[in-house]
Amino acid sequence: MLFLAHFLFRPSESALPLLPSLQVVPSILRWWGGAAVLALGALLAGRVYCSVLCPLGTFQEAVWRAGGRRLSGYAPGSRARYWTLALVLAAGAAGVSAVPALLDPYAAFGRGVTQLLRPPMAGGIDSLAGFLESRGLYGIISRAGRIPFVPGLFWGTAAFFLVLTLWSLRKGRPFCDALCPVGTFLGLFSRSSLLSVRFSGENCTGCGLCGTVCPQRCISVKERKVDADRCVLCLRCVDACPGGELALSFAPPGESLSRRGLLRTAAGFTAALGLTLWSAKKDGTVPAGASSWDEKLPLSPPGSKSRGNFTKKCVACTACVTVCPAGILRPSLGEWGPEGLFQPVLDYGRGYCQYGCTACGDACPTGAIESLEPGEKQLVSIGKARFLRRNCIVRKYGTACGACSEHCPTQAMRMVPFRGNLTIPELDPSICLGCGACEYACPAEPKAVTVSGLTVHGKIRPLSGGGEGPTVAPLEEFPF
Amino acid sequence: MDRREFLKRTAVLGLGGAALLLPRSVRRAFGAGEGLPGLAAVRGGEPGEMFERGVAALGGMERFVKKGQTVVIKPNMSWDVPPERGGNTNPELVERIVRRCLEAGASKVYAFDHTCDLWRNSYRNSGVEEAVKRGGGVVAPADTSGYYQKVPLPGGRALKETAVHELMLECDVFINVPVLKHHGGAGITMGMKNLMGTVWNRGEFHAKGLHQCIADVSLFRKPALTVIDAYRMMTRNGPRGTSERDVTLLKAQILSTDIVAGDAAAARIFGADPKNVSYIRSASEMGIGTMDLESLGVERIAL
Ligand code: SF4
Ligand code: SF4
Repeated sequence: MLFLAHFLFRPSESALPLLPSLQVVPSILRWWGGAAVLALGALLAGRVYCSVLCPLGTFQEAVWRAGGRRLSGYAPGSRARYWTLALVLAAGAAGVSAVPALLDPYAAFGRGVTQLLRPPMAGGIDSLAGFLESRGLYGIISRAGRIPFVPGLFWGTAAFFLVLTLWSLRKGRPFCDALCPVGTFLGLFSRSSLLSVRFSGENCTGCGLCGTVCPQRCISVKERKVDADRCVLCLRCVDACPGGELALSFAPPGESLSRRGLLRTAAGFTAALGLTLWSAKKDGTVPAGASSWDEKLPLSPPGSKSRGNFTKKCVACTACVTVCPAGILRPSLGEWGPEGLFQPVLDYGRGYCQYGCTACGDACPTGAIESLEPGEKQLVSIGKARFLRRNCIVRKYGTACGACSEHCPTQAMRMVPFRGNLTIPELDPSICLGCGACEYACPAEPKAVTVSGLTVHGKIRPLSGGGEGPTVAPLEEFPF
Repeated sequence: MDRREFLKRTAVLGLGGAALLLPRSVRRAFGAGEGLPGLAAVRGGEPGEMFERGVAALGGMERFVKKGQTVVIKPNMSWDVPPERGGNTNPELVERIVRRCLEAGASKVYAFDHTCDLWRNSYRNSGVEEAVKRGGGVVAPADTSGYYQKVPLPGGRALKETAVHELMLECDVFINVPVLKHHGGAGITMGMKNLMGTVWNRGEFHAKGLHQCIADVSLFRKPALTVIDAYRMMTRNGPRGTSERDVTLLKAQILSTDIVAGDAAAARIFGADPKNVSYIRSASEMGIGTMDLESLGVERIAL
């Protein structure tokens, strides 16, 4: 529920800033030590993350319970999950972000909410607002912001959730069991976990009730054993067992050090170490801008630092897309290359980056967009405007315009004398933020000013005059 | 003079005398501004008190707002900047006007602006939204085309039609409350330019010739009163401004029943000759108003 609220409404305005940072993939991406801490956590308490924090896990379990279907008891774990984990690690290391982005359960859940739930909700709110306004009641509820619609992402998400829902109805938590890279990673450690669900003694009558309620189907009544690498500690079995046989308990000394457990743990530590190193690695993008008017490089949001940092860390959960009040962040369709599919990109066709806004950085769980103070953000240059005078209305038609300069927060685009009383824009790139206000406002066809992204974000020189007060010069006499 | 004539005359005189004894507000309701000045220029006070003095000189709020009428106030709250930056109309002034309208008997007072920056942020950070609410008015959104209706502009030179906010069509009284600012494209912005925030197709203005479009859109509905806020005047880098250094604390205000005259007076305060501001010149040629202040009657007030 909390996560639903988190993606439906604006996280920056809600009281839930901590939630995303408790997520596995985001925290690994955000901080180099994340992987190690999570591994240690799993050694202590197994896959408790999966049942307590993972929103996609919770979703599957809710679907399954709503369906009310009893499960058929023990099924051995699938091998596929190790392959998915290996694939995700390899793809991540190779910089193909689309694979981890697709399979991270947190991101997948986020996309489900923003793509499938939010639009109808926003539609509902808007029609209610429209109804009230038509009766002269303004401002009772405000309209929900629109987020860009990207058909590919919408249909992909819809298909994913349709399959998952049908699958969950029959199988409990099929994604966690068969595919989830996060669950598998944690499972490498939870096998040797200190705390786990165990058969405690002689009370088991072999009734098999526990098996029908275990969404992971990891309790083997025959062998009197719970697969600790798959168990998510939901404790349904503990509740269901009439004899009180199943219990959450600490491992007796020595037990968890079986040979197999050791091997797995070693594999797990290698993975964790690899993740840690990868996450700590500085990205080596070279600074570059567009070389010509025709070349327009994509823009990443302020706070993302560079194209390299952004595409490495973004899991395409679309949290930023939802919060951007300007509606200019949209899932990309190849701007970051096929490997960065759906990682958001700035699109100035619908608006421009708001000077005082830092919403996307505040919402981003992974550190792909870092949170900035407004003062810092107002100095970060994410792109550069290019002005093509021959397209400018002032020059083309000899009439006044200045829409670009009007919107430019730094006056990098400023009006200088032209012919007669006319003024024409002049661009000072050294104070241009690349915010796109000029591009959006420019009424010329084709545009006389467009913004191209910087592969490594820059800093503008601080504007003079900030902090000083106004000139005090009260009017002494009326000039008429 | 026979008896009947005499009685008639005394009756008229008596009524006239009685009328003189009536409270000023009632007199104004009949007289509708006969003999009152059309423009008041005030300097040296706080925004709210300058408005009080100015509107009193024009005959009081009752001259413009009658009992039960709905009022639309159009402040400038187009930019996501705080009040000190002078990018939007002074909130204190807006609050005072809303309050006076309600006291004069208005049934409802609305305010809106088709903003340049994001409307939520601009409404909030300009401080104007809060001010309207404090005064007892209602802030209406204006951010989607659904709020606008197409209207013809007979006599328009560059624009033959436009789409105006629905409240502009519905309200009984329209009060225009711009701020006086430098403007990179139009030179200066004040009364008529502020009307760009009442229409949907503002981008088109730039494409079709900014000055003429500004004059044309003023044809649609002349405000009963234009109050030009020159308390903080942005002298450069307008209309958005980059810092408080762009602002001069001028402490002035123009109130006018004629939008063109108001702009002409404000232009002079800004240091420009109204004849050199194309939209003022066009508007006066088109008969929307006059640049000749003295023909209106000017009241100058120093606090
Ligand atoms: S900082 Fe810019 S891109 Fe990010 S949410 Fe705000 S307006 Fe959107
Ligand atoms: S992108 Fe355009 S509007 Fe934004 S700072 Fe640069 S010149 Fe100004």
